[in-house]
Amino acid sequence: MSEPLLEVRDLRTHFFTREGVVRAVDGVSLSVDRGRTLGLVGESGCGKSVTALSILGLIPKPPARIVGGEVLFRGRDLTTLSERELEDVRGKQIAMVFQDPMTSLNPTLTIETQLVETIRRHTDASRREASRRAVELLDEVGIPKPEARLGDYPHRLSGGMRQRVMIAIALSCEPDLLIADEPTTALDVTVQAQVLDLLDRLRREHDMAMIVITHDMGVIAEVADEVAVMYAGQIVEQASAAALFARPEHPYTEALLGALPQLEDHASRVGRLTAIPGRPPSLVEPPAGCRFAARCPYAGEPDGCAEHPPELRELRRGHFVRSEHPASERARPREGVSA
Amino acid sequence: MSSTPQEHGVGLAPLRQRKERRYPTPPDGVQTDAGAPIRASSLWRDAWYRYVRNRAAVIAGVAFLLLLAYCLIWPLVSPYDPYAVDFSQASESPSLAHPFGTDQFGRDLFTRTALGGRVSIGIGFAATFVILSIGVTYGAIAGFLGGFVDNGLMRVLDALYGLPYLPFAIIVLAIFGGGNFWTMVVALSIASWFTTARIVRGQVITLKENDYVRAAHAVGARWPRVLLRHLLPNTLGVLVIAVFLELPGVILGEAFLSFIGLGISPPDASWGSMAQDGYRAYRTAPHIIIVPSIAIAYLILCANFIADGLRDALDPRTRET
Amino acid sequence: MSALLEVRDLVKRFPVKRGLFFERTVDWVEAVAGVSFDIGAGETLGLVGESGSGKSTTGFCVLQLMRPTSGSVRFEGRELTELSGEELRRVRRNAQIVFQDPYSSLDPRMTVGNIVAEPLVVHSVGTRRDRRTRVRELLDVVGFDPTYVNRYPHEFSGGQRQRIGIARALALSPRLIICDEPVSALDVSIQAQIINLLKDLQAEFGLAYLFIAHDLAVVRSVSDRIAVMHRGRIVETGPAKDVYEHPKDEYTKALLASVPVPDPARMQERKADRRKLQGAVAM
Repeated sequence: MSEPLLEVRDLRTHFFTREGVVRAVDGVSLSVDRGRTLGLVGESGCGKSVTALSILGLIPKPPARIVGGEVLFRGRDLTTLSERELEDVRGKQIAMVFQDPMTSLNPTLTIETQLVETIRRHTDASRREASRRAVELLDEVGIPKPEARLGDYPHRLSGGMRQRVMIAIALSCEPDLLIADEPTTALDVTVQAQVLDLLDRLRREHDMAMIVITHDMGVIAEVADEVAVMYAGQIVEQASAAALFARPEHPYTEALLGALPQLEDHASRVGRLTAIPGRPPSLVEPPAGCRFAARCPYAGEPDGCAEHPPELRELRRGHFVRSEHPASERARPREGVSA
Repeated sequence: MSSTPQEHGVGLAPLRQRKERRYPTPPDGVQTDAGAPIRASSLWRDAWYRYVRNRAAVIAGVAFLLLLAYCLIWPLVSPYDPYAVDFSQASESPSLAHPFGTDQFGRDLFTRTALGGRVSIGIGFAATFVILSIGVTYGAIAGFLGGFVDNGLMRVLDALYGLPYLPFAIIVLAIFGGGNFWTMVVALSIASWFTTARIVRGQVITLKENDYVRAAHAVGARWPRVLLRHLLPNTLGVLVIAVFLELPGVILGEAFLSFIGLGISPPDASWGSMAQDGYRAYRTAPHIIIVPSIAIAYLILCANFIADGLRDALDPRTRET
Repeated sequence: MSALLEVRDLVKRFPVKRGLFFERTVDWVEAVAGVSFDIGAGETLGLVGESGSGKSTTGFCVLQLMRPTSGSVRFEGRELTELSGEELRRVRRNAQIVFQDPYSSLDPRMTVGNIVAEPLVVHSVGTRRDRRTRVRELLDVVGFDPTYVNRYPHEFSGGQRQRIGIARALALSPRLIICDEPVSALDVSIQAQIINLLKDLQAEFGLAYLFIAHDLAVVRSVSDRIAVMHRGRIVETGPAKDVYEHPKDEYTKALLASVPVPDPARMQERKADRRKLQGAVAM
């Protein structure tokens, strides 16, 4: 079995603020193989974005700091690299696409400038060569009449186009890994579908690995091969996409899937959605035991899962759960929670 | 819950109470979603914390308060009569008995500076208050009404902008005679409110876009209520900053006008008039002009740092998530 | 019997202005280009569309928060476009709105209690004591702990703030509530809570909803009938079941096919469907 391209081991990123230490990422381990897409899913505040930023060392250093764990990319631990060395990795080997293309593209520079700048940063192409490459890239991401677009400023393009430009910039140096943080959240649903298709196709054509971070389970189903579900700074379930949707094990995953209104559900008008009572725990003083215990319909005294934090264990081949009460181990069926 | 459209009198039909509790009962010690606040702190306290972190702003704040205390309290307890002329003590350099020295008339400068401070700062705040009143009214009306009215008001403002305020101040003083607290206030404010108007208009226009303003209309609030209850209170932050930004300009204006003899006239003291007194004796007794000058600079520096600190502290961009 | 709300040929145009000294209108943008629909008492019409389709503008025009350029809005038999001032205010009591952004829809300088009481204050309903009681009832009904009436909005989470906004909308016992993307800014699990809440309130108080949203799955879970908007026009309406399962318009079909569903098995089929509809949607 070949080595994974990226392996994160027990990563911990904490924010040191006036109100206390926020343990945004608290022991996250994951891996991505070449040519595969990992979906990292969770609601806001679960730490998924911070995880991605930590991989690339892009967290704001004064309040935040990686306090533990390793990020092994092709054997090298990125957490030990200096800023200069990280700059070489960023863009060239690991590229990132962000949520809002309007703020991640410089509005005062033309598309051409931004593309060329990136290309020349990481390769020794001449300006002309870089320009030509830029046109190729724009064409590849599906922008019509790319030569004409070079001179445009970001605000002349629609949201979908801008996101494609971002992807072009990310691809410009043939990275091995592409991290996309909520790449389609700001886009209309029809454009979203196109951009997701594009990402998938590019991933296959360039044999890249991809990490897609999102809160949208539908997006996960569309593009991810493997899925990791995050809650309160930890991974609570990890499995192949097919397995996760077919047989979710963690109570949180079940609840999350149950809370989704289904597009193709005939009875959704009259049914009720599964609402998870309560709110995620504070990351400044996380609970001692299982972080989901307070909202979990299966947590109970005798098990002590409120006292002892469960470990991430392999329930089946390739299916990991951090819970004392995964679905397949429950003795008798309990009523789901409806609030 | 059906009542005819017109029938909403005093006796509102009570909402039917559900039998079970509406919000789910949580296991002990857990916040329900519909439960406790997630951050128990007030907007002002947050602003205070941010202000206090700015060292320069804190020092300036303290320095300003000390200055105020000095100006208000010292003349009440001073052993010297600020008006008494005593040529035997004229033009003495600073000493223990007279920390700021004396002027050509033998008057204690430490006491006169405090007294002058009352006048200068008093005129400063009063003029600033008038500037804000005119500016806020003008800007709020323009911003709130928008469209044609806004256009017209702003074009008039653009024209007025070009007018330098000093000649206007001088004209006012020439007409009404200088030397009076209130004529000074009018003179200094009459042509200085333009920037404030523009700032307030900008704020109101921005705030108008907020959904809570639409919500107020939707529930049926009339426009005075929207303006007074929703828009203006939310411009408070900007206004507080505007006060400390206008103040230095007004102080300097007063100093200048008094210095050239149009403002407060002797024997009353303002820092400007004291500087005028000391101007002639500059070669022999420089302290007479230096003292009020430093006092003016001190006040302006404080006001600027305080304004800076307030701006950072009240920055609405720093949003809680 | 006529419907609670009848909208006919609603048009809203916005001027495009240019000019140095005095702004002149050089062109018009037609955000809403002739929209018609009905809503009956107690039913929900889901108005779906992507950004820029004009759906929110339609909602505002119905309530006369923006004055329509032309067209008719009849609510409870009265023509709203002809009303103004006091008459309009009186009618406003029966039609309310819940906004999308829980952060900007509540005045940060007012307490929760004052925010919810404002409709009552503005219409001089009840004594102060009556209003206090009523506010507590309203907060309880929407699942917000009434002991926190004296706190400020920024102390609460997005979901809690939406509840406050809903309580405010209910204060005058309206018959119609316009929900403008009420759950778009919320997390999935909180979305579910608010959707359940809106459905419960509708059942309990016989409310009619104009539910405006872009999330097709969410809209399906609350709507009896659907209207699909595209570039200012309604391209398809009908009972929810018909529109979702047998869409007739090309745009509607493309829209439905583009929604990612959380089911990898279905995804492959849907991707194939999507490719067939490639032409219908612009980039």
